[in-house]
Amino acid sequence: MTIQVLDPTYGQGAAPFQLAPRLHGLKGKTVGLISNGKRGTQPFFAAMERQLLADVGVGRVVLMTKANYSAPAEQRILDAVVGWDAAFAGIGD
Amino acid sequence: MQLQSAVHEVADMMAAQEYFHSRKWTDGLPIVPPTAEAVQACLEWAMVPPDHLVGVEPVRARAITAEKLAINAVMAGCLPMHFPLVVTAFTAMLQPEFLLHGCTSSTGGCAVLSVINGPTRQELGMSGSFNALGASDRATMAIGRAIRLALYNLMDVRPGEVDRSTLGHPGKISYCVAEDEENTTWASLAAERGVPDGASAVTVFAAGAPRQLMNEWTTEPAQILDTFVAEIKATMLHYSIWSGNFAIVVPPQLRAHFEGAGWSKADIRQYVYENARVTRGDWAKCGKGMVVDDRASDEFAALPSPDDLLVIAAGGPAGGFGAVIPPWFGWKSRAVTVAVGACLDCEA
Repeated sequence: MTIQVLDPTYGQGAAPFQLAPRLHGLKGKTVGLISNGKRGTQPFFAAMERQLLADVGVGRVVLMTKANYSAPAEQRILDAVVGWDAAFAGIGD
Repeated sequence: MQLQSAVHEVADMMAAQEYFHSRKWTDGLPIVPPTAEAVQACLEWAMVPPDHLVGVEPVRARAITAEKLAINAVMAGCLPMHFPLVVTAFTAMLQPEFLLHGCTSSTGGCAVLSVINGPTRQELGMSGSFNALGASDRATMAIGRAIRLALYNLMDVRPGEVDRSTLGHPGKISYCVAEDEENTTWASLAAERGVPDGASAVTVFAAGAPRQLMNEWTTEPAQILDTFVAEIKATMLHYSIWSGNFAIVVPPQLRAHFEGAGWSKADIRQYVYENARVTRGDWAKCGKGMVVDDRASDEFAALPSPDDLLVIAAGGPAGGFGAVIPPWFGWKSRAVTVAVGACLDCEA
Protein backbone atom coordinates (compact mmCIF):
# COMPACT_ATOMS: atom_id res chain seq x y z
CA MET A 1 0.00 0.00 0.00
CA THR A 2 1.44 3.35 -0.99
CA ILE A 3 1.83 6.31 1.35
CA GLN A 4 0.92 9.83 0.40
CA VAL A 5 3.25 12.34 2.04
CA LEU A 6 3.24 16.12 2.09
CA ASP A 7 6.04 18.24 0.71
CA PRO A 8 8.02 19.74 3.65
CA THR A 9 9.76 22.49 1.70
CA TYR A 10 8.95 26.16 1.36
CA GLY A 11 8.07 25.41 -2.22
CA GLN A 12 7.28 28.87 -3.49
CA GLY A 13 10.52 29.60 -5.27
CA ALA A 14 12.79 32.56 -4.84
CA ALA A 15 11.52 36.08 -5.27
CA PRO A 16 12.13 37.20 -8.85
CA PHE A 17 14.96 39.60 -9.56
CA GLN A 18 16.72 40.91 -12.61
CA LEU A 19 20.42 41.34 -13.19
CA ALA A 20 21.57 44.87 -13.93
CA PRO A 21 22.88 45.45 -17.48
CA ARG A 22 26.48 44.25 -17.82
CA LEU A 23 29.26 46.82 -18.20
CA HIS A 24 31.77 46.71 -21.04
CA GLY A 25 34.50 48.05 -18.77
CA LEU A 26 35.18 49.95 -15.58
CA LYS A 27 37.13 52.90 -17.02
CA GLY A 28 35.74 56.16 -15.67
CA LYS A 29 33.00 54.39 -13.79
CA THR A 30 31.93 54.73 -10.17
CA VAL A 31 32.60 51.50 -8.30
CA GLY A 32 31.34 50.72 -4.84
CA LEU A 33 33.00 48.37 -2.40
CA ILE A 34 30.77 46.95 0.34
CA SER A 35 32.68 45.58 3.30
CA ASN A 36 30.88 43.29 5.70
CA GLY A 37 32.77 45.09 8.48
CA LYS A 38 35.30 42.44 9.35
CA ARG A 39 38.83 43.54 10.02
CA GLY A 40 40.26 41.55 7.11
CA THR A 41 38.37 43.63 4.56
CA GLN A 42 40.29 46.79 5.44
CA PRO A 43 43.67 46.04 3.84
CA PHE A 44 42.09 43.99 1.07
CA PHE A 45 39.69 46.70 -0.07
CA ALA A 46 42.33 49.40 0.40
CA ALA A 47 44.58 47.54 -2.02
CA MET A 48 41.67 46.91 -4.35
CA GLU A 49 40.79 50.60 -4.38
CA ARG A 50 44.36 51.52 -5.32
CA GLN A 51 44.39 48.93 -8.08
CA LEU A 52 41.02 49.95 -9.48
CA LEU A 53 42.10 53.59 -9.66
CA ALA A 54 45.66 53.10 -10.87
CA ASP A 55 45.47 50.02 -13.09
CA VAL A 56 41.88 49.85 -14.28
CA GLY A 57 41.15 53.56 -14.64
CA VAL A 58 38.05 53.58 -12.47
CA GLY A 59 36.76 57.13 -12.04
CA ARG A 60 35.72 56.91 -8.41
CA VAL A 61 35.72 54.28 -5.69
CA VAL A 62 33.24 54.44 -2.83
CA LEU A 63 33.89 52.23 0.18
CA MET A 64 30.97 51.49 2.49
CA THR A 65 30.93 49.22 5.51
CA LYS A 66 27.99 47.34 6.95
CA ALA A 67 27.25 47.96 10.61
CA ASN A 68 26.47 44.29 11.24
CA TYR A 69 28.22 41.68 9.15
CA SER A 70 25.56 39.09 9.89
CA ALA A 71 22.67 41.21 8.67
CA PRO A 72 21.76 42.58 5.24
CA ALA A 73 23.16 45.92 4.08
CA GLU A 74 21.42 48.88 5.66
CA GLN A 75 19.17 51.23 3.73
CA ARG A 76 21.88 53.93 3.55
CA ILE A 77 24.04 51.48 1.57
CA LEU A 78 21.17 50.41 -0.68
CA ASP A 79 20.43 54.08 -1.37
CA ALA A 80 24.05 54.71 -2.32
CA VAL A 81 24.24 51.70 -4.62
CA VAL A 82 21.75 53.36 -6.95
CA GLY A 83 24.42 55.88 -7.92
CA TRP A 84 27.14 53.31 -8.68
CA ASP A 85 27.96 51.63 -11.97
CA ALA A 86 29.30 48.49 -10.31
CA ALA A 87 29.66 47.05 -6.84
CA PHE A 88 31.88 44.51 -5.13
CA ALA A 89 30.86 42.88 -1.86
CA GLY A 90 33.37 41.10 0.30
CA ILE A 91 33.79 39.30 3.58
CA GLY A 92 36.86 39.58 5.75
CA ASP A 93 37.33 36.20 7.42
CA MET B 1 -9.31 24.55 5.43
CA GLN B 2 -7.52 22.21 3.05
CA LEU B 3 -3.81 21.59 3.25
CA GLN B 4 -1.97 23.34 0.43
CA SER B 5 1.30 21.42 0.22
CA ALA B 6 2.11 19.25 -2.76
CA VAL B 7 1.46 15.54 -2.26
CA HIS B 8 4.04 12.87 -3.15
CA GLU B 9 3.34 9.16 -3.33
CA VAL B 10 5.86 6.60 -2.09
CA ALA B 11 5.67 2.83 -2.11
CA ASP B 12 6.12 2.19 1.60
CA MET B 13 7.90 3.32 4.77
CA MET B 14 11.37 2.46 3.53
CA ALA B 15 10.74 4.13 0.18
CA ALA B 16 9.67 7.24 2.06
CA GLN B 17 13.06 7.35 3.79
CA GLU B 18 14.97 7.22 0.52
CA TYR B 19 12.59 9.72 -1.06
CA PHE B 20 13.26 12.26 1.68
CA HIS B 21 17.00 11.57 1.96
CA SER B 22 17.56 11.87 -1.77
CA ARG B 23 15.93 15.30 -1.81
CA LYS B 24 17.87 16.56 1.23
CA TRP B 25 14.62 16.92 3.13
CA THR B 26 16.03 15.28 6.25
CA ASP B 27 19.12 15.47 8.39
CA GLY B 28 20.53 12.00 7.86
CA LEU B 29 18.18 10.33 10.33
CA PRO B 30 14.94 8.57 9.38
CA ILE B 31 11.71 10.55 9.33
CA VAL B 32 8.11 9.83 10.14
CA PRO B 33 6.22 10.17 6.83
CA PRO B 34 4.21 13.40 7.03
CA THR B 35 0.77 12.24 5.99
CA ALA B 36 -2.15 14.62 5.77
CA GLU B 37 -3.78 12.92 8.76
CA ALA B 38 -0.73 13.36 10.98
CA VAL B 39 -0.28 16.97 9.94
CA GLN B 40 -3.95 17.78 10.50
CA ALA B 41 -3.72 16.25 13.96
CA CYS B 42 -0.89 18.64 14.87
CA LEU B 43 -2.80 21.64 13.57
CA GLU B 44 -5.96 20.63 15.42
CA TRP B 45 -4.07 20.14 18.67
CA ALA B 46 -2.58 23.62 18.37
CA MET B 47 -5.92 24.99 17.19
CA VAL B 48 -4.42 26.79 14.22
CA PRO B 49 -5.52 26.64 10.57
CA PRO B 50 -2.99 25.43 7.99
CA ASP B 51 -2.44 28.94 6.65
CA HIS B 52 -1.84 30.46 10.08
CA LEU B 53 1.10 32.81 9.65
CA VAL B 54 3.63 32.02 12.34
CA GLY B 55 5.87 34.81 11.12
CA VAL B 56 7.93 36.14 8.25
CA GLU B 57 11.69 35.72 8.08
CA PRO B 58 12.67 39.26 7.15
CA VAL B 59 15.90 38.76 5.20
CA ARG B 60 14.50 36.28 2.70
CA ALA B 61 10.88 37.40 3.08
CA ARG B 62 9.73 33.86 3.74
CA ALA B 63 6.30 33.46 5.28
CA ILE B 64 6.31 30.51 7.68
CA THR B 65 2.92 28.86 7.96
CA ALA B 66 1.63 26.42 10.54
CA GLU B 67 1.06 23.78 7.86
CA LYS B 68 4.70 23.72 6.82
CA LEU B 69 5.89 23.69 10.42
CA ALA B 70 3.54 20.80 11.18
CA ILE B 71 4.87 18.76 8.27
CA ASN B 72 8.40 19.14 9.58
CA ALA B 73 7.31 18.45 13.15
CA VAL B 74 5.70 15.17 12.12
CA MET B 75 8.86 14.22 10.22
CA ALA B 76 10.94 14.90 13.34
CA GLY B 77 8.82 12.54 15.43
CA CYS B 78 6.59 15.06 17.16
CA LEU B 79 3.24 14.03 18.53
CA PRO B 80 0.39 16.50 18.05
CA MET B 81 0.76 17.59 21.67
CA HIS B 82 4.36 18.64 20.97
CA PHE B 83 3.42 20.93 18.10
CA PRO B 84 2.39 24.07 20.04
CA LEU B 85 5.95 24.31 21.33
CA VAL B 86 7.35 24.14 17.80
CA VAL B 87 5.04 26.99 16.80
CA THR B 88 6.08 28.97 19.87
CA ALA B 89 9.78 28.41 19.24
CA PHE B 90 9.46 29.60 15.66
CA THR B 91 7.39 32.60 16.73
CA ALA B 92 10.30 33.56 18.97
CA MET B 93 12.93 32.81 16.33
CA LEU B 94 11.18 35.07 13.83
CA GLN B 95 11.41 38.13 16.07
CA PRO B 96 13.85 40.65 14.57
CA GLU B 97 16.19 40.65 17.57
CA PHE B 98 16.86 36.93 17.11
CA LEU B 99 18.41 37.63 13.67
CA LEU B 100 17.46 34.18 12.40
CA HIS B 101 19.11 34.40 9.02
CA GLY B 102 22.37 35.64 10.49
CA CYS B 103 22.70 33.02 13.18
CA THR B 104 21.68 30.09 10.99
CA SER B 105 23.88 31.05 8.05
CA SER B 106 27.00 32.10 9.95
CA THR B 107 30.29 30.30 9.77
CA GLY B 108 30.14 30.47 13.59
CA GLY B 109 28.06 27.30 13.63
CA CYS B 110 25.60 27.87 16.45
CA ALA B 111 22.35 25.98 16.97
CA VAL B 112 18.99 27.15 18.24
CA LEU B 113 18.69 26.15 21.90
CA SER B 114 15.11 26.02 23.16
CA VAL B 115 14.44 26.16 26.89
CA ILE B 116 10.98 24.98 27.93
CA ASN B 117 9.21 26.27 31.04
CA GLY B 118 5.80 25.87 32.61
CA PRO B 119 3.23 23.13 33.07
CA THR B 120 3.60 21.86 29.51
CA ARG B 121 6.86 20.17 30.56
CA GLN B 122 5.06 17.74 32.82
CA GLU B 123 2.14 17.29 30.45
CA LEU B 124 4.57 16.22 27.73
CA GLY B 125 6.77 14.08 29.97
CA MET B 126 9.79 16.30 29.57
CA SER B 127 12.69 15.79 31.92
CA GLY B 128 15.14 18.38 33.14
CA SER B 129 17.06 15.78 35.08
CA PHE B 130 19.42 13.04 33.86
CA ASN B 131 21.23 13.84 30.62
CA ALA B 132 19.40 17.17 30.45
CA LEU B 133 21.52 18.50 27.58
CA GLY B 134 21.44 15.24 25.65
CA ALA B 135 18.54 13.08 24.58
CA SER B 136 16.75 13.30 27.93
CA ASP B 137 13.27 12.39 26.69
CA ARG B 138 11.06 12.01 23.65
CA ALA B 139 9.44 15.46 23.66
CA THR B 140 12.56 17.60 23.95
CA MET B 141 14.35 15.46 21.37
CA ALA B 142 11.52 15.63 18.84
CA ILE B 143 10.82 19.35 19.34
CA GLY B 144 14.50 20.24 18.98
CA ARG B 145 14.75 18.18 15.82
CA ALA B 146 11.55 19.70 14.43
CA ILE B 147 13.13 23.14 14.70
CA ARG B 148 16.18 21.95 12.81
CA LEU B 149 14.22 20.18 10.07
CA ALA B 150 12.00 23.23 9.61
CA LEU B 151 15.12 25.35 9.16
CA TYR B 152 16.33 22.85 6.58
CA ASN B 153 13.19 22.77 4.55
CA LEU B 154 11.68 26.22 4.99
CA MET B 155 14.86 28.34 5.08
CA ASP B 156 17.26 26.07 3.13
CA VAL B 157 19.53 25.94 6.19
CA ARG B 158 21.31 22.82 5.02
CA PRO B 159 25.07 22.34 5.29
CA GLY B 160 26.73 24.05 2.36
CA GLU B 161 23.55 25.86 1.34
CA VAL B 162 22.39 28.62 3.69
CA ASP B 163 24.16 26.89 6.59
CA ARG B 164 27.78 27.97 6.13
CA SER B 165 29.00 26.63 9.50
CA THR B 166 32.68 25.82 9.57
CA LEU B 167 32.18 23.20 12.30
CA GLY B 168 28.71 23.36 13.76
CA HIS B 169 28.08 21.23 16.83
CA PRO B 170 25.95 18.25 17.87
CA GLY B 171 23.21 20.52 19.21
CA LYS B 172 22.26 21.13 15.61
CA ILE B 173 20.53 17.76 15.57
CA SER B 174 18.33 18.71 18.50
CA TYR B 175 18.96 21.28 21.24
CA CYS B 176 16.10 21.53 23.66
CA VAL B 177 16.02 21.42 27.45
CA ALA B 178 13.20 21.55 29.97
CA GLU B 179 14.02 23.44 33.13
CA ASP B 180 13.83 21.39 36.34
CA GLU B 181 11.30 23.66 38.03
CA GLU B 182 10.12 21.11 40.56
CA ASN B 183 13.45 20.60 42.28
CA THR B 184 14.45 24.17 42.93
CA THR B 185 13.36 27.18 44.94
CA TRP B 186 14.45 29.45 42.10
CA ALA B 187 12.11 31.32 39.79
CA SER B 188 11.94 29.75 36.35
CA LEU B 189 13.80 31.24 33.42
CA ALA B 190 10.50 32.21 31.81
CA ALA B 191 9.24 33.87 35.01
CA GLU B 192 12.45 35.86 35.24
CA ARG B 193 11.86 36.99 31.67
CA GLY B 194 8.34 38.22 32.32
CA VAL B 195 6.09 35.26 31.58
CA PRO B 196 3.16 35.08 34.05
CA ASP B 197 2.90 32.24 36.56
CA GLY B 198 1.08 29.23 35.22
CA ALA B 199 1.92 29.91 31.58
CA SER B 200 4.23 27.73 29.55
CA ALA B 201 6.92 29.34 27.45
CA VAL B 202 9.83 28.77 25.13
CA THR B 203 13.07 30.74 25.25
CA VAL B 204 15.20 30.50 22.12
CA PHE B 205 18.89 31.27 22.17
CA ALA B 206 21.40 31.17 19.31
CA ALA B 207 23.91 29.06 21.13
CA GLY B 208 27.27 27.44 20.89
CA ALA B 209 27.97 23.98 22.26
CA PRO B 210 27.74 23.48 26.04
CA ARG B 211 31.09 23.68 27.86
CA GLN B 212 30.99 21.37 30.86
CA LEU B 213 32.76 22.28 34.09
CA MET B 214 33.16 20.69 37.53
CA ASN B 215 33.69 21.98 41.04
CA GLU B 216 33.01 19.46 43.80
CA TRP B 217 35.51 20.91 46.25
CA THR B 218 33.62 23.81 47.77
CA THR B 219 30.16 24.71 48.98
CA GLU B 220 30.76 28.45 48.74
CA PRO B 221 28.50 30.02 46.07
CA ALA B 222 31.09 32.60 45.04
CA GLN B 223 33.76 29.94 44.56
CA ILE B 224 31.42 27.78 42.52
CA LEU B 225 30.56 30.77 40.37
CA ASP B 226 34.25 31.51 39.91
CA THR B 227 34.46 28.23 38.01
CA PHE B 228 31.55 29.26 35.78
CA VAL B 229 33.16 32.68 35.32
CA ALA B 230 36.49 31.11 34.38
CA GLU B 231 34.74 29.09 31.67
CA ILE B 232 32.95 32.17 30.36
CA LYS B 233 36.22 34.10 30.27
CA ALA B 234 37.88 31.22 28.44
CA THR B 235 35.28 31.21 25.69
CA MET B 236 35.51 35.00 25.43
CA LEU B 237 39.22 34.70 24.78
CA HIS B 238 39.23 31.52 22.72
CA TYR B 239 36.14 32.26 20.67
CA SER B 240 34.43 35.65 20.81
CA ILE B 241 35.11 38.53 23.14
CA TRP B 242 31.83 40.30 22.42
CA SER B 243 29.22 40.54 25.12
CA GLY B 244 25.78 39.03 24.78
CA ASN B 245 23.49 36.49 26.35
CA PHE B 246 25.25 33.61 28.05
CA ALA B 247 23.46 30.64 29.62
CA ILE B 248 24.63 28.62 32.58
CA VAL B 249 23.10 25.29 33.49
CA VAL B 250 23.16 24.42 37.19
CA PRO B 251 22.33 20.84 38.25
CA PRO B 252 20.97 19.94 41.72
CA GLN B 253 24.25 19.21 43.51
CA LEU B 254 25.63 22.68 42.89
CA ARG B 255 22.20 24.25 43.07
CA ALA B 256 21.81 23.03 46.64
CA HIS B 257 24.80 25.10 47.71
CA PHE B 258 23.33 28.27 46.22
CA GLU B 259 19.86 27.65 47.57
CA GLY B 260 21.20 26.69 51.01
CA ALA B 261 23.10 29.95 51.18
CA GLY B 262 20.09 31.96 50.03
CA TRP B 263 21.44 32.86 46.58
CA SER B 264 18.75 33.57 44.01
CA LYS B 265 19.19 33.59 40.25
CA ALA B 266 19.39 37.38 40.48
CA ASP B 267 22.34 37.10 42.89
CA ILE B 268 24.07 34.73 40.48
CA ARG B 269 23.46 37.02 37.53
CA GLN B 270 24.87 40.00 39.40
CA TYR B 271 28.00 38.09 40.45
CA VAL B 272 28.68 36.82 36.95
CA TYR B 273 28.05 40.27 35.49
CA GLU B 274 30.61 41.80 37.81
CA ASN B 275 33.27 39.13 37.41
CA ALA B 276 33.08 37.71 33.90
CA ARG B 277 35.37 40.26 32.31
CA VAL B 278 38.56 40.10 30.30
CA THR B 279 40.89 42.67 28.85
CA ARG B 280 41.95 42.91 25.28
CA GLY B 281 45.49 42.26 26.47
CA ASP B 282 44.42 38.80 27.67
CA TRP B 283 44.23 37.80 24.03
CA ALA B 284 48.02 37.77 23.94
CA LYS B 285 47.97 34.77 26.32
CA CYS B 286 46.10 32.61 23.86
CA GLY B 287 47.76 33.31 20.55
CA LYS B 288 45.79 36.40 19.54
CA GLY B 289 48.40 39.02 20.32
CA MET B 290 48.17 40.40 16.80
CA VAL B 291 44.79 41.97 17.51
CA VAL B 292 45.55 43.49 20.91
CA ASP B 293 46.81 46.67 19.22
CA ASP B 294 47.50 49.49 21.65
CA ARG B 295 44.34 48.79 23.64
CA ALA B 296 45.56 46.07 25.99
CA SER B 297 43.80 47.58 29.00
CA ASP B 298 40.37 47.80 27.35
CA GLU B 299 37.93 45.75 29.42
CA PHE B 300 35.21 43.57 27.94
CA ALA B 301 32.28 42.26 29.99
CA ALA B 302 30.63 38.99 29.05
CA LEU B 303 27.21 40.42 29.79
CA PRO B 304 25.83 43.81 28.74
CA SER B 305 23.75 43.70 31.94
CA PRO B 306 23.03 41.13 34.69
CA ASP B 307 19.70 40.34 33.05
CA ASP B 308 21.50 38.93 30.03
CA LEU B 309 22.57 35.79 31.86
CA LEU B 310 20.15 32.90 31.40
CA VAL B 311 20.31 30.75 34.54
CA ILE B 312 18.81 27.32 33.90
CA ALA B 313 18.15 24.74 36.60
CA ALA B 314 18.67 21.35 34.96
CA GLY B 315 20.67 18.17 35.27
CA GLY B 316 20.75 14.87 37.08
CA PRO B 317 20.83 14.66 40.87
CA ALA B 318 24.46 13.68 41.38
CA GLY B 319 27.66 15.35 40.27
CA GLY B 320 29.22 18.73 40.88
CA PHE B 321 28.98 19.64 37.24
CA GLY B 322 27.63 22.62 35.41
CA ALA B 323 27.72 24.04 31.93
CA VAL B 324 28.28 27.34 30.22
CA ILE B 325 26.53 27.85 26.91
CA PRO B 326 28.03 30.76 24.97
CA PRO B 327 26.17 32.92 22.49
CA TRP B 328 26.63 32.58 18.76
CA PHE B 329 28.30 35.94 18.47
CA GLY B 330 27.84 38.46 21.23
CA TRP B 331 24.87 40.72 20.96
CA LYS B 332 24.06 40.14 17.30
CA SER B 333 21.32 37.70 18.24
CA ARG B 334 19.36 38.10 21.46
CA ALA B 335 17.51 35.42 23.38
CA VAL B 336 13.75 35.68 22.96
CA THR B 337 11.05 34.28 25.26
CA VAL B 338 7.48 33.73 24.08
CA ALA B 339 4.58 32.26 26.05
CA VAL B 340 2.82 29.29 24.48
CA GLY B 341 -0.31 30.54 22.78
CA ALA B 342 0.82 34.15 22.73
CA CYS B 343 0.16 36.15 19.59
CA LEU B 344 2.84 38.78 19.28
CA ASP B 345 1.31 40.66 16.36
CA CYS B 346 -2.32 40.53 17.42
CA GLU B 347 -4.04 43.76 18.36
CA ALA B 348 -5.01 44.07 22.00
